[in-house]
Amino acid sequence: MGQGADASKVIRHVFPASETGFDPAGSQDYYSGTIEQVIFETLLTYDYLARPAKLVPLVAETMPEVSDNGQTYTVRIKKGIYFTPDPAFKGAKRELVAADFIYSLKRLIDPKLRSPWAWLVEGKILGLDELAEAAKESGKFNYDAKIPGLEAPDRYTLRIRLKQTDYNLAYVLAHEPTSAVAREVIERYADEGGRAMSNPVGTGPYLLKEWVRASKIVLEANPGFRGFVWDFQPGSDVEDRRIVAAMKGKKMPQVGRIEISIIEEDQARLLAFEQGELDIMNMEAPLAPMVLDGDKLKPAFVRRGVKLSRFIDPEITYTYWNMQDPVVGGMAKEKIALRRAMAMAFSVEEDIRIVRSGQAIEAQYPIPAGVVGYDPNYRTRVKFDPAAANALLDRFGYKTGADGFRTLPDGKPLVIKYTSRPDTLGRQQDELWAKAFALIGIRMEVQKLRFPDQIKAEKECKIMMRTASWIADYPDADNFMQLLYSKNIHQNNSACATIPEYDRLYEQSVRMPSSAERDRLYHEMARIIEAYAPWRLDISRYRNMLTQPWVLGYKKHPILQSEWQYIDVEPAPKGG
Amino acid sequence: MYGYIIRRLWQMIPTLLGVILLVFILFNWVGGDPAYVLAGKISSAEQIANIRKQLGVDQPYYVQLGIFIRQVVTADFGASWSTNEPVSHILVTRLGPSMTLLVPWLILSTLISIGLALAVAYVRGSLTDRAVMISCTVGLSISILVYIIVFQYVFAYKLGWFPVQGWGDSFWENLVVYSSLPILILLVVSIAPDLRLFRTFMLDEINQDYVRTARAKGLSENRIMWVHVLRNASIPIITQVMATLPGLLIGAFLVERFFSIPGIGREVILAVERSDFPVIKAITVYVAVATMIFNLLADLMYKAVDPRVQLK
Repeated sequence: MGQGADASKVIRHVFPASETGFDPAGSQDYYSGTIEQVIFETLLTYDYLARPAKLVPLVAETMPEVSDNGQTYTVRIKKGIYFTPDPAFKGAKRELVAADFIYSLKRLIDPKLRSPWAWLVEGKILGLDELAEAAKESGKFNYDAKIPGLEAPDRYTLRIRLKQTDYNLAYVLAHEPTSAVAREVIERYADEGGRAMSNPVGTGPYLLKEWVRASKIVLEANPGFRGFVWDFQPGSDVEDRRIVAAMKGKKMPQVGRIEISIIEEDQARLLAFEQGELDIMNMEAPLAPMVLDGDKLKPAFVRRGVKLSRFIDPEITYTYWNMQDPVVGGMAKEKIALRRAMAMAFSVEEDIRIVRSGQAIEAQYPIPAGVVGYDPNYRTRVKFDPAAANALLDRFGYKTGADGFRTLPDGKPLVIKYTSRPDTLGRQQDELWAKAFALIGIRMEVQKLRFPDQIKAEKECKIMMRTASWIADYPDADNFMQLLYSKNIHQNNSACATIPEYDRLYEQSVRMPSSAERDRLYHEMARIIEAYAPWRLDISRYRNMLTQPWVLGYKKHPILQSEWQYIDVEPAPKGG
Repeated sequence: MYGYIIRRLWQMIPTLLGVILLVFILFNWVGGDPAYVLAGKISSAEQIANIRKQLGVDQPYYVQLGIFIRQVVTADFGASWSTNEPVSHILVTRLGPSMTLLVPWLILSTLISIGLALAVAYVRGSLTDRAVMISCTVGLSISILVYIIVFQYVFAYKLGWFPVQGWGDSFWENLVVYSSLPILILLVVSIAPDLRLFRTFMLDEINQDYVRTARAKGLSENRIMWVHVLRNASIPIITQVMATLPGLLIGAFLVERFFSIPGIGREVILAVERSDFPVIKAITVYVAVATMIFNLLADLMYKAVDPRVQLK
């Protein structure tokens, strides 16, 4: 049992979807990542209470030394950190060293692993892409090969050299796919694809005790974990002071056992929470009307002492138009007018009220709250204004025919194909957009595609129009602004947009650290999005976490996925 | 008899080939390309091509079909595309919870339906018979989803007689604590149609001459109903029960999802959501094989129940 942890202290958490496995390089889903964050450790992490999210060292002694104009990162690792004992270590204590991070970073780009996180290092680290290319030819990745981009000058020092300036690498080093794994463990347990999904062995505060896939995950405090003293500074949030008062000075982790149930159905999750079978749960938007009055808990929950941790997720939902599509794409004035008119015909207010059950705010800026570069004072110029939208279409020759629908300026029929998923949310989005198109007299067709087909069509630039979401991988504006960079077409530039002005500004921004100058570029880029309308910014969603009265110190972090190592639980009777 | 069995087993091969072909065509037609999901949020065309190559979905269709047939023959369906877990392990670990739930349900459902069917058939036309039939019709008209939501809310949450959801480590805990409410729901859902069907079978027999003869000979009503009528009505009942058995292999996905039971039904849904073809293939083939085997067993049981039946 971890040094401060009490075996009798148990937290019962719930996931609404199942995990896939616990190899940081292999799994990509949120819930596997949540578990990985407490079993494995990254070089850096985030301060638990600081908002916006602030990087702090985890297994690094200090923050990385950045030199060569943002092209070299040097990180010193704390001595005396050990992996959880495992037969792979043949009885020896296995210390965490710089070479473990070199191995772990290399794994991300090993073609055999087909890691969904290859993009974190691809094209960035000197010599790494060449190593991957060689592996494609030989069929075997040479982990022993020395490359100039990943070096360990001594046992505890890691030096990363980049191909070009990148001030965001520190965020990558805090992202759980870059967690340290031990080569011996991977080589002992890896499957044919090179992934060790079932045998996570790390240095973190918890270890995997029991796992019934897609049903139950039990973690126990790692007895060999070095521990830490809870000493976070409160922010401006009133709740922070209560958290500090309850937690300051405690040896962490306090909770000895974490039991996670996977419950897919909303009703079952909420009833289990109300019944006292769960201590922490994420309340999805459909449940909000049952639990919340506006942004506050209903009196029945308040009386029971249930607590709500609520914030805007670092994500945006937006509707894009395919800029390569012959009907809605392109930079011709009438095409821009068409997209702007569609954007103005859509009511975000209705989306929030009807589809999101009030659990969202209108996104004003492509960079959401909680992300470095966010500007709370920025206001979008795109407003719900059907009259202006109709006037714009009239002006650019989209005439209304005898059937009441508009035609293209050349007289050909105008039909907009909106793509959505065959689920409840998809149907609601169809209805809202149908209403918007009815306001401006445009005929709309709905194309239903399942998720894999949707991604495929999107990457092939074959979707005319769709509503998509993007949640921060790391809390920097670049993670969002790259979504319209033309070199990301066929990757994550869903609008398949090539806007030279935008590209020029983006290329300037990536060479800058966070600064007022970079923010100015982002302002310009946001205005370009509004002017050319490859997107219609829609919403950012609230995250509502419910905790039982006996849970102490809980505050949902916008980037960290698990908070168990920072919280405590009163030894109060549970149930009922 | 043995010749009949061998002939029936032999006949399964073309049926199975048909199933394989159908599954293969359906998956490639509507199944979606898993490479795009597995590649992650930010992925290049090259990475997607690499994944397609590793999964083998870039191979010509005839090669992929050949691999599928080999997997069926060797009963080795490889690993799940999304979790890399061996498919055989997935099936073995998920089958236990599904069976814990479905075997007791099937036994109870069959026994209760038969008992009630005999009872209402015996008092056919009476107020009781009509009331039971109306109840069955009402019960049949309600979706299982409604039963699940209402029963979970009332019996688990409000009354606290059962846990809202969950699954434990011991068989008895799972059977008694966690499966009770799901089994109750499945019984409520299944008894209504079975009872109506079985009642019809019973009524067909009750009107036969041999029943009148038995009564004339002075046999007790209990013996007539439980021995003579039941035995003669058992052939269609066996058909019905045997047709239900392969369904055990795909679980009761709605009940499993709402009550967080790690059964095979949940796994089927997950596999479909993730376009996890190895898992879908394995489950489909096993269900097809089970259906054929249970059909064969049903035919053999006809013979055991009624020696007049000729197996050809």
